[in-house]
Amino acid sequence: MITLSIRPLIETHYVNQVQVFADSPWFQHLEQGQASRQEYDAFIFNLCQTHLKSPQILAFLYAVAPPTAAPQIKHNLLEELGLDQVAICHPDLLYQLATAAGFDGDRQTHLAEAAQAQIRQLCTDPLLFGTIQELGLSVLLEVTCFEWMLSRLASRIGKALAAHRGLPSESLTWFHHHSEVDIRHAEEGLDSVEQYLAYYEIEAEDLETILDITFRENIFVKRYFADLPAIAGAADENR
Amino acid sequence: MRIVEATLFALQIPFVEAFAHSVRSRSSSDSIVVRLRAEDGTVGYGEAVARPYVTGETVAGCLQFMERTLWPAVQATDYVPWAGQEEIAWLGSLTLPAEANETSGVVAWHGSRCGFELALVDCLLKAAGVSLGELLPPRHPVTYSGVITASSVEGAVKHAKRFKQFGLPYLKVKITGEADQERLAAIRAAVGPAVSLRVDGNGAYSVEGAIATCEALAEFHIDSAEQMIPRGDPQALATVQAATAISQMADESLITLADAQTLIAAKACRGFNLRLAKCGGLGPTLAIAELAQAAGIAVQVGCQVGETAILSAAGRHLAAYLPEISFCEGSYGSLLLREDLSRRPIHFGHRGLAKPLKGPGLGVEIQDALLEKYAQQTISLLAKAV
Repeated sequence: MITLSIRPLIETHYVNQVQVFADSPWFQHLEQGQASRQEYDAFIFNLCQTHLKSPQILAFLYAVAPPTAAPQIKHNLLEELGLDQVAICHPDLLYQLATAAGFDGDRQTHLAEAAQAQIRQLCTDPLLFGTIQELGLSVLLEVTCFEWMLSRLASRIGKALAAHRGLPSESLTWFHHHSEVDIRHAEEGLDSVEQYLAYYEIEAEDLETILDITFRENIFVKRYFADLPAIAGAADENR
Repeated sequence: MRIVEATLFALQIPFVEAFAHSVRSRSSSDSIVVRLRAEDGTVGYGEAVARPYVTGETVAGCLQFMERTLWPAVQATDYVPWAGQEEIAWLGSLTLPAEANETSGVVAWHGSRCGFELALVDCLLKAAGVSLGELLPPRHPVTYSGVITASSVEGAVKHAKRFKQFGLPYLKVKITGEADQERLAAIRAAVGPAVSLRVDGNGAYSVEGAIATCEALAEFHIDSAEQMIPRGDPQALATVQAATAISQMADESLITLADAQTLIAAKACRGFNLRLAKCGGLGPTLAIAELAQAAGIAVQVGCQVGETAILSAAGRHLAAYLPEISFCEGSYGSLLLREDLSRRPIHFGHRGLAKPLKGPGLGVEIQDALLEKYAQQTISLLAKAV
């Protein structure tokens, strides 16, 4: 059972993940306009692939959420699907981005298949954890860490794509949306993690190990830049 | 069946995190993948790993030996597909030279041979629609060990806790002669009494140092001590074994069949660590395992740090087939590599358990795009027209 405040511990991991990402050579390259059009498009593809299936991931988290956290996760899920009052379906925003970047029908189909393949891989990978409780915590930590990052960097990424890839503002709504909404989500995400830990009575030592396992790589570099070639100074960016 | 084309990919796949032992630290895989294409279009994949401090092979040396010695031998042979023959005899019929001349500094070209042998096995079995699991039928499930890198004690404990979270029942700890007791004490405290611990010195100790270290570590209930002293006189290893209750496991000392015979004759150890890329592939490794079994020597199926799904698949078939193994290592896949080569993940699951591989050949589907992506050097070899 967690007795000490775990928020600072988790925040330290999130801060470190975001810092390493923001300092990574590829992030700098993209933000400073040094990437080629193909490299911007590879980044856009990877970003869309990462987030297209967010509703499915949130649905999984909703299924394993403790009663105290379930309403918030359900709200996020409905928001992702555009079924809340704002009624903006987030995957549609990602397709708007892809369309503005000139992805034709074939490439958008490939994008959808690639996103689905990631879900398939999640299901077919041999499970290292002994229970769904541990897997759920690891997924929750990664999802809330993404929200944390987007609340701090989505606006910068959107501006870089407008300035250096020439994408119109209306195609960048996903970034505008996440930079505003995820400031709230990021805080609520930490609440959800605390509620999850309390509900499943997860020991502090186990949390530390699962944090270590979840964040042993930089999750943003891994998701967004995996297939981009190594560039100078990138040797340890994935730590 | 004739092989008409070979492609050698010298890879560099980054690790998720660096891995260290007493000899060196590495942060990327430097495997060489051998891709063979048969006259009927069937493609097979093998993997070589060059370790200068084990067999004496370097990546450049392996590539040269493959191109100048192995490829001419392969393209000159009309291979007989497997049709139920005795496994060691059929594997032996693949006729792949591995002898090194005395001036080369190489003990045997076993990494190189392994790369070609596995590619041939994969190709010939796929052409016949047969799984390696039919040639080497699995006798038991495979349970993998975790291996803890020789990083800081704090880092080692972190690794140990990860493996405990994954439920692994067996752990091997790399030791260097620095802070060994502190390291083992901290790891034992982290994982509890039920987890089996063994140590690997990678030849970092003198005979006296090895004996003293084994005595000092005995309180942590160590199940075996691997290659505490450098490869060399088997009598020296026998002296260590005679002086300690901990089973000594030969690794770098065991490369060839002749090594195995000498170690057995000297009563140098109670265990052999069989690694495919060190021992020359499936055929020679099975021959050593037979000798060990007859002599009452325990065998462990080891691995190469940074091996891809190709060597891991072959290692799993071997581990499941051998009548009895003490421990098994490998199949870390994407737990260590940023990307592994197989379409489906090879790594083990909770408690280190892994399923047998049932697909044709080695049972893994290799992604050519990843070979291209991570290749630092590619050599294409075409058979001469007959």
